[in-house]
Amino acid sequence: MADNPEAIYGAIRKIKLIGWLLAVFTVITVALSYVELASHSWNIIVGMIVATFKASLVALIFMHLNHEAKLVYKILAFTVAFALALFILFYFSNTDPLVYKDF
Amino acid sequence: MSAAHTQNNDHGHDHHEPGFIGKYVFSTDHKVIGIQYAITGLLFLLFGFFLMLLMRWSIAYPGQPIPGFDLVSKVPVLGWLFNEMIGRWAPGGVVNGELYNMLGAMHGTIMVFLGIVPLGFAGFVNFVMPLQIGTIDMAFPRLNMWSYWLFFVSGVGMLASFFLGTGSVQTGWTMYSPLASTTGLAVTNVWMHGHTWWLLSMVFNISASLLGSVNVITTLINLRAKGLTWMRMPFFCWAMFIVAFLLLLAFPPLEVAALLQFSDRVFGSSFFLPTGLMEGGQHLDISGGGSPLLYQHLFWFLAHPEVYVLILPAFAILAEVIPANTRRPLWGYKAMVYAGLTLGFLSFLVWAHHMYLTGMGTMMSTYFQITTVLISVPSVILLTGLMISLYGGSIRFTPQMLFASAFLPMFGIGGLTGLPLAFTFIDLALHDTYYVIGHFHYVVAPGTIFALFAGVYHWYPKATGRVMNDFLGKLHFWPSLVGMNLIFAPMFIQGMGGFHRRWYDGGKYFEQTHSASNWFTELTSKFFGLFGMDVPNNLLGLNVLMTFGAVILMLGQVPFILNFWLSVKGGKKVKNDNPWDCTTLEWATPTPPPHGNFTFDIVAVRGPYEYSVPGMKQDYFPQWESEPGKAAEPASVNTKVVPTPHH
Amino acid sequence: MDIPYTVTARPDTGLYNAKVGIWLFLASEVMLFGGLFSSYIFLRVGADYPWPVHELGVTLGFINTLVLIFSSVTVLLAWANLKLRNIAKYKLYLFITILCAGTFMVIKSIEYRAKFKHYSVTLTDGTILTGHLPHGYTIEFGEVKSLSLTVAGKTAAIDADPVRHVVPWIKGELPKFKTESGNLISLDATSFQQLKNEAKQKATEKAKNDGLKEIPNWTIKLVPEKSLTFVLPPSQLLSRPQPGATAISFRDGTTAEGIMINDKMILEADAVDLRATPDKVKSIAWNEHYLGSAWKKVFIEKRDHAIAEFNERYSDGKGGTTRDPSKSATHQKHMFYFKLDAEDHDKTDSHTGSPHKAEASVPSHDAEANSGHQHPTVVLDRKDIQFFSNFTPKLNSYYAIYFTLTGLHGLHVIAGALVLAYFLFCNNKMMRDDPERLANRVEVGGLFWHFVDLVWIFLFPLLYLL
Ligand code: HEM
Ligand SMILES: [Cu+2]
Repeated sequence: MADNPEAIYGAIRKIKLIGWLLAVFTVITVALSYVELASHSWNIIVGMIVATFKASLVALIFMHLNHEAKLVYKILAFTVAFALALFILFYFSNTDPLVYKDF
Repeated sequence: MSAAHTQNNDHGHDHHEPGFIGKYVFSTDHKVIGIQYAITGLLFLLFGFFLMLLMRWSIAYPGQPIPGFDLVSKVPVLGWLFNEMIGRWAPGGVVNGELYNMLGAMHGTIMVFLGIVPLGFAGFVNFVMPLQIGTIDMAFPRLNMWSYWLFFVSGVGMLASFFLGTGSVQTGWTMYSPLASTTGLAVTNVWMHGHTWWLLSMVFNISASLLGSVNVITTLINLRAKGLTWMRMPFFCWAMFIVAFLLLLAFPPLEVAALLQFSDRVFGSSFFLPTGLMEGGQHLDISGGGSPLLYQHLFWFLAHPEVYVLILPAFAILAEVIPANTRRPLWGYKAMVYAGLTLGFLSFLVWAHHMYLTGMGTMMSTYFQITTVLISVPSVILLTGLMISLYGGSIRFTPQMLFASAFLPMFGIGGLTGLPLAFTFIDLALHDTYYVIGHFHYVVAPGTIFALFAGVYHWYPKATGRVMNDFLGKLHFWPSLVGMNLIFAPMFIQGMGGFHRRWYDGGKYFEQTHSASNWFTELTSKFFGLFGMDVPNNLLGLNVLMTFGAVILMLGQVPFILNFWLSVKGGKKVKNDNPWDCTTLEWATPTPPPHGNFTFDIVAVRGPYEYSVPGMKQDYFPQWESEPGKAAEPASVNTKVVPTPHH
Repeated sequence: MDIPYTVTARPDTGLYNAKVGIWLFLASEVMLFGGLFSSYIFLRVGADYPWPVHELGVTLGFINTLVLIFSSVTVLLAWANLKLRNIAKYKLYLFITILCAGTFMVIKSIEYRAKFKHYSVTLTDGTILTGHLPHGYTIEFGEVKSLSLTVAGKTAAIDADPVRHVVPWIKGELPKFKTESGNLISLDATSFQQLKNEAKQKATEKAKNDGLKEIPNWTIKLVPEKSLTFVLPPSQLLSRPQPGATAISFRDGTTAEGIMINDKMILEADAVDLRATPDKVKSIAWNEHYLGSAWKKVFIEKRDHAIAEFNERYSDGKGGTTRDPSKSATHQKHMFYFKLDAEDHDKTDSHTGSPHKAEASVPSHDAEANSGHQHPTVVLDRKDIQFFSNFTPKLNSYYAIYFTLTGLHGLHVIAGALVLAYFLFCNNKMMRDDPERLANRVEVGGLFWHFVDLVWIFLFPLLYLL
C-alpha cells in the first residue's frame, strides 16, 4: 500500500466499501441457498461462485494481492494449482467416469 | 579466524555474549542449529538401524532368541531401557509378530521423519546454505530455534511411545486406516496410547518442518549476497529450495490425515471407516460413511513428495562434492536446475501410483501412470548430469568421493526398478512385496544415506577445522557398499517370488516359499556351506544372506562413529579455510565460521562451478574472487534494481 | 551486523523478510485447508446417507460471518491509522478486532454446546430419532457377586485399577470385599496396592517355579459382602455391552458378572427421520410403547401433504411431475423427516409453512406421551438401538468434518487474536521507537487475519447452507 496520507485515506474509504459489499454478498449467499434451482448441484455451484467472488475481494483488496510483488504470485500460483489438483482428483476418485458398465 | 572476536563488538548494545545454554542448546545461530539437527538425525538413524537389525534377525531366524538378549537385559540402566522398550514384548528374546510390527512401523517413521529429513535437509541446509549464499544467518533465527526444538519434542514423543503400556504404534509407517483407526482401542486410556503419541508427535514434526521450510525459502529469496543471482546459486541451494517447497506444501495434507485419524481414534468419528465395518465378527460401534481411500490419498499426497524430500538433498550434496573432487564444472547446471524444478512440480501430481490396487478407478490410474512415467524424465536428467560430470575429471578419491561415486549406480538401480512399478499391470504382482522394499531402499539407503555420508566428510572440516581420517573413511565405505547390496539386491528376487513385505517370520510358514530356487539361492546356499552353515537352497535362504549383509553394514559403521567423534579433537588440522579448493562461498569464511560468518563484505562475481578454467594457473576460481587470491569489491557488483511493484 | 531486509524491502524482490515468510506460511495454510476441503468433497461425494443441508443454525453462522468481515475491516483500519500515526485510533481498532475474535469464539462455543447436548439414535431398522437425554444415559448392571481383577505382569495398556475405574460406579455404599485368602478389605487405594503387590509376588514366584520366560498376568477374585449394582455410562466400559449381557468389562480390564437390570434409554425425542427406513409405515418408532399410532397418523398426513404439494408444484400438466420425486433430496426430506413439536397445535399453520419447515402438530389425545413436556418422551430398549451419539464427530462424516473444519478454523482465530493482542499490548516500545516496523508487523498479522476470514467465507456456505 502507498505510504502518503492521502492514499491511506483513500484506502480507508475503499476498505469500508468492500466491507459493506462483503456483508451484502453474505446476505445474497444465504438467500440464494433457499432458492430451489434446477438441482441441488446448481445451488452448490452458484453458492461457490458467490463465495469465490467474496474471497477474491478479500484476497485482492484486503490482502492487496491486486498489486503485490511478482514473487508472491508465483508462490501462490503453484499452491493454488496443487490445491485444485487435490480437489479435482479427490472428486474423481469417488466418481470414476471411465467405468466399463457392460461387465 | 582471528576476526571472530572483532566481530562481536559490532553487535552493539543489545547483544551480550550468550552463555553455554544460549550458545549450544537454545542457540539461534544457524550453524549450531544445523549441527544439532545433524547429530540428532545421525543418532536417530543409528537407532532406526538398530530396530532394523532386530527385524532382520526375526526374518532370518524366526522363533529363535535374539543373540545377546539376556546379556543386554542385565546391563544396569541400558538393560532397563531395553526391557521397557523392547524386551517386554519378546519373552525369552523371541521377536513376535506384535513386536515386529512395532519395530517395522517405528523403523520407517524414524528413518524417514526423524533421521534422513533432519540430517539431510535440516542439518545440511542450516549449516551450509546461509554460508553458501553469503549471509550472516537465516531470515528468522528465532523461528529456526523453535523449529529444532519442535522437532526434538516430536522425536522424544516417538521414543517415549515405546515406554507406554501399549508399546509404540504397530501399523506400519504408512498407518493405513481402517486398521490404524480401529486397532487397539480397547485400552484404559486412549491418550496414553502409542498410536495417539505417534499422531501427536507427527503434528509436532510437521510444524517443525513448516517453520524450517518457511525460513529456508525466505532466506534464499531475500538474503542472497550481492551478485549471487539465482543462476549463480550453487545447485545445493536450488535443490534445498525445492525440498523446502515440497515440505511447505505437501506436509499439510499429512497433518490433515493425522488429525482425522486422531479424531477417528479418540473422538470415534468415521473419516476412514466404511459403513458396516466389522472386526472379529462384530460390527464396530461407529457410524461409518467414510473411506480408507481418503486416508491413502491424504497420506500419499505427502508421502510421494516426501520421497523427493529424501532424494533431493542427496543430489544437492553430490552437486557440490562431485565437482570439487573431479575438478570439473557440474555438467549441465542449468538443465539440472530446470529438471529439479520440474521434478518438484510433478512430484505433487503422481501420488496415487502407490494406490493402484485400491480400486480407485480407471481414469485415476491412467492419469497417475502417465504422470509417474513423466516424472522419471527429470530424475534421469539429474542423475545423468552428475554422471557426466565425472567424465574427463582428474578424480580425487577422498572418502566423500567414494560415497558419491557409489551413489550413482545405486540410485540408478533404485530408480530403474521404480519404473516397472509405474504400470498398473506390473504393480499388480509387485505391490506390497519385497520388490517395492528393494526399490525404495536402493534409492534411500545406498542412495541418500551414502550421499549424506559424503556431505559429512565434505563439510566436516568447515564445521570443526579438522579433516576426518581418510583411512577410517575408506574402512567405512567398503563394508557399507558390500553390506547395502547384500541386504537389498536379494529383495528383488524375493519380491518377484511373491514375498510379502510385512512377514515377521520372513515367509517361513508359507509353504510355497520353500520350493522356489534359482542360481542365486544356490550360490547363497553354497557360500554359507563353506562356513558349515545350513542355509536352504530356496528363496528363504536369502533371508540369511540379507541378515548377514546387515551385520556387515553394522560393522562398517563403527569406523565412521569413531572417526566422527575422534576427529573433533584428533583429526588433521585444515591447511586453510578452503581445504578442498572449492569455489562456493561457504569456503570464504573463517574455520569454523564465527557468529555472523563472514569477515568481509562478500559478493559473488561468477557462477558456482568454475573449476579448471582454461588458461588459469589454479584449477578453481572461487565465486567471491575478482582475481585469484583477491576478494571482489562490493562496489564492483552493480545490482539491477527492479522498481518495486508498490505505489 | 543485523539480518538485512527486516524492515525495508529488498529491492529486487520488493518484499521484506516477514512478508515473504507470511505468504509462504499462508501457502502452507492453503494446503492445510485444501486437504480438509478436499476431504469434505470426498466424504460428501461418497456419503451413503442424506447429506445435511440447512441443518446448522444459519442465524448464528450468519452473525459470525458478519463479525469476521467486520473484524477484517477493523484490522485494516488499525494498520492504516498506525501508518498515519493516529495511535489512539490504531489501538481502538486493533482492540475491536480482538473483541470480534472473542465474540466469534463465544458464538461458536454456543453452537458447539448445543450439539454436545443433542443426541441422535439410530434404531435397528434405520429409523433415526433425535432429541435430548434429560437424565443422560446410564445402564444399571446388578447382582454382581464377584469381581475379577487382572494384574499385568509387565507394563501393559490394561492393568487393574479398580479404585479409579470400578469403585466410582458402585450404586450406594461401598461394601467390603473378601479376598481369596479370606481377608476383608475395603477397596481403597492402599488396600488395593497391597493386594496388587501380593499378586505380583505370586506371579513372580510362579514364573520362577515353572521356568516361564516372562511374569504372567495374575487374576484376583474379590467377593463383595453383599451383591453389587453398578450404574454407569456405557462409554466407561471397554466395549458397549450387547443386549442382555451377563458380564461387563471396565476400562481397567476388571470384569463383573451379573445381569443387566436396565439398559433403556430415555429420549425426549424432537424429530424422526425415516429416510433410511425400508418400510416407513412399519418403523419401530411407531410401536405403541414408543411414538405410537397417533404420531404415525401425523406422519402419514405430513407425508401425503408433502407429496401433494410436490405434485402440484412440479406438475407437468399431464398428471406427472417434471422432477423425479425419488431423486429430490428436498422432497425426500419433506416426506420422511419431521419434527415432533408438541406446542405446534395449529394444524393449518404447518400447511402453509415454508417448505423447509416440516413441524408436525400433535394429536391432542396423545397427552400421556408428552406429559407436560414440549416433546414426546420415549423409552428405548437396548435391543432396538443400533447406534447412538450426540451431535459430535462420532455421529456421521458430516459432523466429523464440520467439527474438524470449524475447530481448526477456531484455533486459527484464537492464534490470530493472540498475535494481534501481542502487538497491541506488548509492542509499545516498538511503537514509539520504530512505528514503521510495527506497522509491518500489523500488516503481516492482518494478512493472516484476512486468511482466516477467507477460509470462513467458504466454510459458512459449505457447512451451513449448501
Ligand atoms: C525414478 C522414478 C521412480 C518411480 C517411477 C517410482 C515408482 C514407484 C512406485 C510406482 C511405487 C509404488 C509401488 C507399490 O507400492 O506397489 C514406489 C514406491 C516407493 N518409492 Fe518409488 N519411484 C521412483 C523413484 C523413487 C525415489 C527417488 C524414491 C525416494 C527416495 C522413491 C521411494 C519410494 C518409496 C519410499 C516407496 C514405497 C513406499 C511404501 O509403500 O512404503 N521412489 N515407487
Ligand atoms: Cu511415489
